[in-house]
Amino acid sequence: MKASHIIGKAFLALMAFIVLFPIFWTALNAFKVNADILVTTPKFVFEPTFDNIAYVLSRNSVMAALTNSLVISLTSVVIGIALGLPAAYAVARYPNRWTEEIQFFVLSLRFLPPVAVAIPLMVIWLNLGLYDSWTAMIATYSLLTISITIWLAVPAFQQVPKAIEEAARVDGYGAYAVFLKIALPVAMKTLIGAIAFSFVLIWNEFLIALMLTTGKAKTLPIVASEMSQVGMDVPWGILNAAVILLSIPPLLLLGLLSGFMNSMFSNKSR
Amino acid sequence: MKSTFSKLATSTAASAMVLGSLSVGAITLTPQAAVADGHAVCSKPVQILAQPRDGLTLLEEYASEFEELSGASFQIDYLNEGDRRAKSQADAATIGNYNVYYVDEANLALFASSGWIAPLLDHYPEEYDYNDFDPGRIATATYDGTVYFAPILGGGDLMVYRKDLLEAAGIEPPTTLEELKAAVEALHDPDNGIYGIGLRGQRGSGANVWRWMPYFKGMGGEWFDADGNAAMNSEAGIMATETYLELFRYSAPGTQTGSWDESTGAFRAGQIALIIESAPLGGITLDESQSQVADLVGFARPPAPLTGGGFGHGFAIGTRANADDAALDCAGLWAAWATSKENEMRRLEAGQAGELNRLSVIGSDLFAETFGTELPAALADTAEVTAVNFWQDARWQELGGQWGIILEELITGTRDDVPAALAELEEFANDLVE
Amino acid sequence: MNSRQTLPYTFLVPTILVLMVLAFVPLGYAINISFQDRTLISPNSSYIGFENYIDLFSDRRFKNALWVSFKWEIITVTSTMIAAVGLGVLMFETLKPRTRNLMCLVFLIPVLLPRVSAAFVWSFAFHPLYGIVTYPYRAITGKPLDLLTNPDTALFAVAFVDLWQWGFFFAVIVLKLLESLPPQPLEAARLDYAKTWQIHAFITWPMLKAPLVSLALVKAIESLRSFDLVYIMTRGGPGITTETLDMYAFSQGFIEAGKISYASSMAVIMMVLTVVIFTFIWKRVRT
Repeated sequence: MKASHIIGKAFLALMAFIVLFPIFWTALNAFKVNADILVTTPKFVFEPTFDNIAYVLSRNSVMAALTNSLVISLTSVVIGIALGLPAAYAVARYPNRWTEEIQFFVLSLRFLPPVAVAIPLMVIWLNLGLYDSWTAMIATYSLLTISITIWLAVPAFQQVPKAIEEAARVDGYGAYAVFLKIALPVAMKTLIGAIAFSFVLIWNEFLIALMLTTGKAKTLPIVASEMSQVGMDVPWGILNAAVILLSIPPLLLLGLLSGFMNSMFSNKSR
Repeated sequence: MKSTFSKLATSTAASAMVLGSLSVGAITLTPQAAVADGHAVCSKPVQILAQPRDGLTLLEEYASEFEELSGASFQIDYLNEGDRRAKSQADAATIGNYNVYYVDEANLALFASSGWIAPLLDHYPEEYDYNDFDPGRIATATYDGTVYFAPILGGGDLMVYRKDLLEAAGIEPPTTLEELKAAVEALHDPDNGIYGIGLRGQRGSGANVWRWMPYFKGMGGEWFDADGNAAMNSEAGIMATETYLELFRYSAPGTQTGSWDESTGAFRAGQIALIIESAPLGGITLDESQSQVADLVGFARPPAPLTGGGFGHGFAIGTRANADDAALDCAGLWAAWATSKENEMRRLEAGQAGELNRLSVIGSDLFAETFGTELPAALADTAEVTAVNFWQDARWQELGGQWGIILEELITGTRDDVPAALAELEEFANDLVE
Repeated sequence: MNSRQTLPYTFLVPTILVLMVLAFVPLGYAINISFQDRTLISPNSSYIGFENYIDLFSDRRFKNALWVSFKWEIITVTSTMIAAVGLGVLMFETLKPRTRNLMCLVFLIPVLLPRVSAAFVWSFAFHPLYGIVTYPYRAITGKPLDLLTNPDTALFAVAFVDLWQWGFFFAVIVLKLLESLPPQPLEAARLDYAKTWQIHAFITWPMLKAPLVSLALVKAIESLRSFDLVYIMTRGGPGITTETLDMYAFSQGFIEAGKISYASSMAVIMMVLTVVIFTFIWKRVRT
């Protein structure tokens, strides 16, 4: 093996370390008492405590935020699926002079600064009496989930071999049946990845939630960010525990998303 | 209104010592007789937006007591000071989710004049004896002649210093600003992990501006002149700012963008020789569980001509979330219970000295046993220099917030022209009052 | 009408209508309130014409925020692209397929983390007294290292977290792009004993140029979302050295005075700028 290869591998190993170590360290700190965290020489050996995790899980606000986050994320993802997948299929399979414009319109929604959407929405939801509610959050997030679902699902539907759909049509399937019974199941593997992406996007969203909630509908990122002070000092252990709790759901989807990336790119070479 | 607030000057322990001594030994720890039967029964859990306080963490342990008393539970959402101000303002102005708001001297005018909070005593059960609170605290909780909040903490400024370090250097506790500057410079020894002073650099009307104001007012500065024009760009303003920046050269690391937590944290960790901070720090430094320098600290009033920043925080009843009288009463009951004598005694027993406001508690035997005589004496002494430093107006936070950002820029060195900075503030202030 | 004719309409019309309502109503509203003097605190408001916009151009914090946002775009886009290409090629050249897949899994982690989490993770690591990153410096010099409160380093420290999240993610994409290239030209060149850099400069680069430019554009769009990191790590400080446009708009609209109309006028300018600039670039790149 060439020396340059060894150096290259060592460098990549260092990069993997830079990715994993800060997260590992945060997880480790979640099991430390403050006295073990606030030391000038980092401690690797310590007596683990479960108090931080227990505190985070025992807070009503955390449980309420967890519920809010799950309900809001899942509902807006479902709306994204219901409205986004059919539209993506139509764009992929029935191209005409409008579909290109539609695709660009969907993409351009991503150009909008979130703050530019959040400020007027705050006023709108206030006027409607819906500020700080699930309805308002779900409606707002649906804009994101629908557009991201379309964006990612168009190539997934394009990858479905046309021959299969043609064969189904010959068998007497109507256009809707082809979508539901052929295209959807064939593309499903890739689509699940796309859906997982839209879930992660909403789960992680911060700015809009910060501006559109003050109490009842607060999501988990907001509550985690508010944990930065409990009692007189920054409760480092508790904050670390909250950060870890917040990060678990997206990380659980890691395998799914990696598979999605593979299928998106592997077919490109065909 | 000015006169109500000037009562602050006779704040805290001064009056406490006198009045309190009469009631020594009169403390009983039996739970207060159940509040007005059927007079304030809660139908829904009480929602509170507060900032973190050790006393509140302690209070949560007694949640079942409140449940028995009122028939409802309560939930406190915590935000740090800056966020609590921003979010409580946003919440109160919009939807009003919270039954009880944590308010302070700086936003009381805004909350009360906007009608976001209700007069407290209309819904405060008499048994809890509001008049037991220190008169200085009551004065801070009063806006336009009406009491709005039940105090959780307050006071003026106190100088806390490391006896060991001052003795070793042969320095007397400074009594003037000149002596303070000399002492801070002499005690500053970063190579050995000791910094001369701890200041607040973080933006905010309650952060860097709060620490800067004693210099500004102490040197004779005024926010507005007699004609109502902004007057910060005065000799006093420039000198105060330059002095503050000069002292910042000796301030502990992390305080340049830190506030109370960073600077008092560094002091309690033994990294700071001398600090002038809000009075509750005194008791906290004596608490061994929170302070590594508990045996080494001395207390004195802030060096002349600095004025102590009189402040007070407490619980007020939200108007939007409490639609009817029953709900208002319920919120009032919570505020009363949370600041009751029993709960203050519990804080005292837990060694939480920062959050005691009742004369009967400050005057108790246990208080004297826990804190000795030095701290109470110093607190009584500081009361003489405690003053209202901020501009008492609903727009204060906006003005203070603006100056906070400019001051942070000066402190972190991204701008250096002090008169230009003050001129910018003046312009902002004039636009504000237009 | 048969189902093949109706499907595009039934599938597209409702979705596009919903999207248009969700997007255009707030935008119209944003423009509308930007001409008022609405604040959170006072219930009354009136129309004041272009006053907010005029005020913006004499607002030094607004001008500063424009400049900071511009710097932020440049720093994060270039550093992410450099890291992505460098790491992507390195993985392609040195790793066997199985290790590559494992590496891809690892490299995907940062971008999946909520930005709030990433910001906190690195805030702990950068802590001047107790941070793990600053530890070596402290151990050697005995002095604290304060990256986030130093005006010269704060923006870079925050941008580093953005790089950490996106650089590794894009490296995975670059690797996948390399893997999807037809292998014949590469093998032919290798047989001719071409050096590795020559292969990439003369063969892969021309093939990958177009997707990489698109990738850079995607990053530029995503970089507009700097708020979470800035809010958690610095709040725009020290002073206003890391105050990006969205941070400043949020401060004005929410933290400091609740000046919704003023913040709205800022948001409208941001919106026009980004939509015009990115539409122009996107259309050019794509044709």
